[in-house]
Amino acid sequence: MSDRRRCLAGALVAAVSATSAAAASLEVRLVDGRGQPVDGAVVVARGVGAPPPPPAEMAVMDQVEEQFVPELLTVPVGTTVNFPNRDDIRHHVYSFSEAKQFELPLYKGEPAEPVRFEKPGPVVLGCNIHDHMRGYIFVAGSPHYAVSGEDGRVELGDLPPGDYEVEAWHPRQKGESARGTAVVADGGAAGLDLELDLKPALRLRRGGARGRKY
Amino acid sequence: MYAFKSFRARLVTLFGGLLLVSLSAVFLAVGRASVGNARRVIVADLAEDAAVFRRLFSERTNHLLEAARLLSGDYAFKEAYWTQDEMTILSLMENHLARIGDADLMLLVSLDGEVIADTEKPGGGGRQDNPWPELLAAAEQDEWGEAAAVVLHGGRPLQLMVVPLLTPDLEAWILIGFLLDDPYAEDLSGLLLSEVSILRRDPAGRIATLASTRPAAGRAAVAETLGGGLPEPGVPRTLSLGGERWVAAAVPLSEGSAEGEVAVLLQRSLAEELAPYAPLRTTLAVLFFASLAVSAVGAVAVARSVTRPVLTLAERARRIEKGEYEQRIELSRRDEIGELAGSFNEMARGLAEKERVRALLGKVVSPAIAEELLSKEIELGGEERVVTVLFSDVRNFTTLCEGRSPREILELLNLYLTRVSAIVEEHGGVVDKYIGDAVMALFGAPLADPDDAGRAVATGLGMRDVLRELNAEFEKRGLPRLGIGVGVNTDMVVAGNMGSETRLNYTVIGDGVNLASRLEGLTKRYGLEVIVSGSTRDAAPGFVFRELDRVRVKGKAEAVRIYEPVGREGEVGEDAMAELARFETARRLLLGRQFQAARDAFATGEELAGGPKLWRLYRERAEGFLARPPGEGWDGTVEFSQK
Repeated sequence: MSDRRRCLAGALVAAVSATSAAAASLEVRLVDGRGQPVDGAVVVARGVGAPPPPPAEMAVMDQVEEQFVPELLTVPVGTTVNFPNRDDIRHHVYSFSEAKQFELPLYKGEPAEPVRFEKPGPVVLGCNIHDHMRGYIFVAGSPHYAVSGEDGRVELGDLPPGDYEVEAWHPRQKGESARGTAVVADGGAAGLDLELDLKPALRLRRGGARGRKY
Repeated sequence: MYAFKSFRARLVTLFGGLLLVSLSAVFLAVGRASVGNARRVIVADLAEDAAVFRRLFSERTNHLLEAARLLSGDYAFKEAYWTQDEMTILSLMENHLARIGDADLMLLVSLDGEVIADTEKPGGGGRQDNPWPELLAAAEQDEWGEAAAVVLHGGRPLQLMVVPLLTPDLEAWILIGFLLDDPYAEDLSGLLLSEVSILRRDPAGRIATLASTRPAAGRAAVAETLGGGLPEPGVPRTLSLGGERWVAAAVPLSEGSAEGEVAVLLQRSLAEELAPYAPLRTTLAVLFFASLAVSAVGAVAVARSVTRPVLTLAERARRIEKGEYEQRIELSRRDEIGELAGSFNEMARGLAEKERVRALLGKVVSPAIAEELLSKEIELGGEERVVTVLFSDVRNFTTLCEGRSPREILELLNLYLTRVSAIVEEHGGVVDKYIGDAVMALFGAPLADPDDAGRAVATGLGMRDVLRELNAEFEKRGLPRLGIGVGVNTDMVVAGNMGSETRLNYTVIGDGVNLASRLEGLTKRYGLEVIVSGSTRDAAPGFVFRELDRVRVKGKAEAVRIYEPVGREGEVGEDAMAELARFETARRLLLGRQFQAARDAFATGEELAGGPKLWRLYRERAEGFLARPPGEGWDGTVEFSQK
C-alpha cells in the first residue's frame, strides 16, 4: 500500500520538477524518539516566500472493504477530494482535524459533494459507524513533498535553490509536525535530520472479525 | 511424694488419674483432629473462593473495560472532545458515568499527561498532575491502548480502567474508576460465602482495612491481627478476631507501589466450621464424667475387695505374733488374695508346727541345745572346747524297783529326773541326756560361761540337797531312801552333732567325759555323794574342797587328783571345817609313810565323825600299809582297775 502512495507522491514531484529550470535536491532523514528510522512520514519543503502551489486536479479517497484507500493521501493545498463509497453499505466519513473538519453523513456511492482542502495540515479521516476505518489526508502548502521509505529517508529533487522550511508529519504524529529549515544551493544537495514524536501504534477493533478476547 | 494412707485412696487416685490421662488424650486428639479437619475444609474452601474471586474480578474488569470502550467509541463523545470546552466535556463525562451506573469517577488525560477533565475536580482542567502515570504507560504499551489496575485514590481502593479516545486516531486517554467499597465487599461475600475485606498495606508495612463485610468495630482488629504481613497468596493463616478464630487467605489486587499494595482478604469462621463437632464434644464430655464416676465406684469396690481380706490377714498376723496359731482364715476366693490367704494358713500351720517342734525339742533336749539346733544349719561335726561334764547316778534304784509296776517306777524316775534337771538348768547347765536314772549334764556347751566349773560344782551340791529333800518325801510315802553319786570333770572335749545324717545328737565326747563318769563311779567307793577332778576344783574357786587322793582310773595313764566339794566358802560350819582339818592331817601322815600315826589319826577321826565310810576306808588303808608297807616308789596314787 505504501508503494502506491509513494508512486503517487513521486508523480507529483516529477510534475513539479518538470516546470523548474535549475534543480537541486534535499535529503531529509527521519528518526523517532528512539533513533529508529521513520517509515511512511510525509515531508514537505516550502520555499521561503514561494507562492502556494497550484491545486491538483480532483483527488480521490476511496472506501473499499471498510478501508480508506489510500490510507495516506497527500494533496497540495486547495485540492478537492472526492470520497466515493465502493462498499454496498453506507459510511459516515468525518474529520475533527484542525486543517479540515467535515462530515459526510451516511451515504452510498458518490457523496453529494467532494470536499475541498484549503488549509495545509493533516486531516484524520474516520467513519462514525466503523471504528476500524482510518485514513489520512495531508494537505501540503508546497508542491515539494514525498513520503519516507523504510530507511526513514526522503529525497526531494528538482528544488529551486533557496531557503526552505521543512515539515515532517507522520500519521502517528504526537502533537505538531516536526519542523526544520534547509538552504538548497543551485545544483547542490542538502541534508536535514528531523526527529518525530510518535504516538503508540494502537490496533483498531474491527467488527465481524473478533477483537481481542477478554 | 504424697504417701497414701489408704489403699482405696491410692486406687481411686490411680484409676481416676489414668482415666483422666487417657480421656484427656482422646479429648485433645478429637479436638485437634476436628480443628485440623475444619481448618482443612476452610483452606480448601478459601482456595476455591480465591479462584472464584479471581475469576469474578477478571470478569468485572472485562465488563468495566467494555463499558469504558463503549463510551470511548461514542461519536458524541468524540465531537464533544473536539469542542475542547472543558465544561462540555465534563458534563458529557458525567452523563456517561450515569450511563454506566456504578462508575465513580472519570478522567480525560491528554497524551502528554495533562488532565483535560476530571469529574472529581470540575474546572481543574489543564493541570499536569495525572495521578496514575504508570497506568497510562501500561496503556501505551498495550496494543489496544487499554489497561486496568487497582490503585489507591485518596486512600480508597479504586479499580481503574484506561481506554484510548480514538477520533479515530489516539487523541487522549479516558480513565474510568470504580471504588472497591463496602457494598462491593458485601456483593462479593454473597457470592463467595466468605467474609471479605479489602486491605491496604503501606510501604511501612502497616495494614489498614479499606472496606469490609465486617462490622465497623471489627475492621481495625482485622488489620491489627494481621500485624505487619498479609498472608502469602495460597497460604491461609489462622487469625483471632474478637475471641473467634478465623482462617484467612489473601488475594493481591495490586502491585506494591509508593502508596502501598491492595489485597482482598477472604476469611471464614473456624467456629462455624466446627459447629457440627460440638455434639461430639458434648458426648465425649458426658462419657468422660460417666466413666470417671464408674471407675471411681469400681476402684472403691476393688479396693474393698482387696483391703478387707488384707486387713483380716494383718489381724491374723498380729495374732500369730502373739503366738496364736490356731485360727484359720476362711476366704471363699480363688484369686491371688485367696491364694495369699491359703499361703497364710499354710504359714500359720508351719509356724505352729515349728513352735511345737521347738517346744518338743526343748523337752527332748535342753532348751539351750534346742536353740542351738534351731538357730543354725544342723550338720555333723563339732568343735573342741573346754566343757565341765557332770554325771549323776542314783544308788539303790534297783532296790526301789523291786516289787513295783513299771508305771510306778517311771513316775518315781520322772519325779527324780524333773527335780535333778531343774537344778541343772537353774545353774545354767544343759542336760545332755538321760541314761536310765543317770543324768549327763554339760556346762560350757553349747554356750560357754567363765564360771562353768563353779556352776557344775554348785549343781552337784544342789543335787545332793535335792536328794535329801526327796528322801524326806519318800520316807513319808514309805518308800526306800535313795542315794546319789555325782562326778564332775573339766576338760577339753569335742562338742557338736554326732550320729548319722538323718539322726543325730548334740553331745560331747572325749576322755574328760569318761573321767567324769569314772568319778561318779568312785563316789560309791569313797562313800561320798560328789567327787570332782583337780581340773574342776582349780576352775571353781569359792568352794571348800576335801582333797581325797591321786587316782589312776581304768583306761587312763595319768593319775588324777580328786576332791570332795563340801560347800561354798563361808558356808561350811566350824565342826565340818575341823573335821576337814583332821582328815588332811591324817592323810599327810599317811603320805609321809607314818602309817601307825596315820592309822591312829584316822581311827580317832572315824570315831569323832561317827564312823563314816570315808574315814573307815582310810583307816583300813593305813592298817593295810602297816601290814604290807608299799614299795619305795609309792607316791600315794591309788589304782582303780574297775570301772
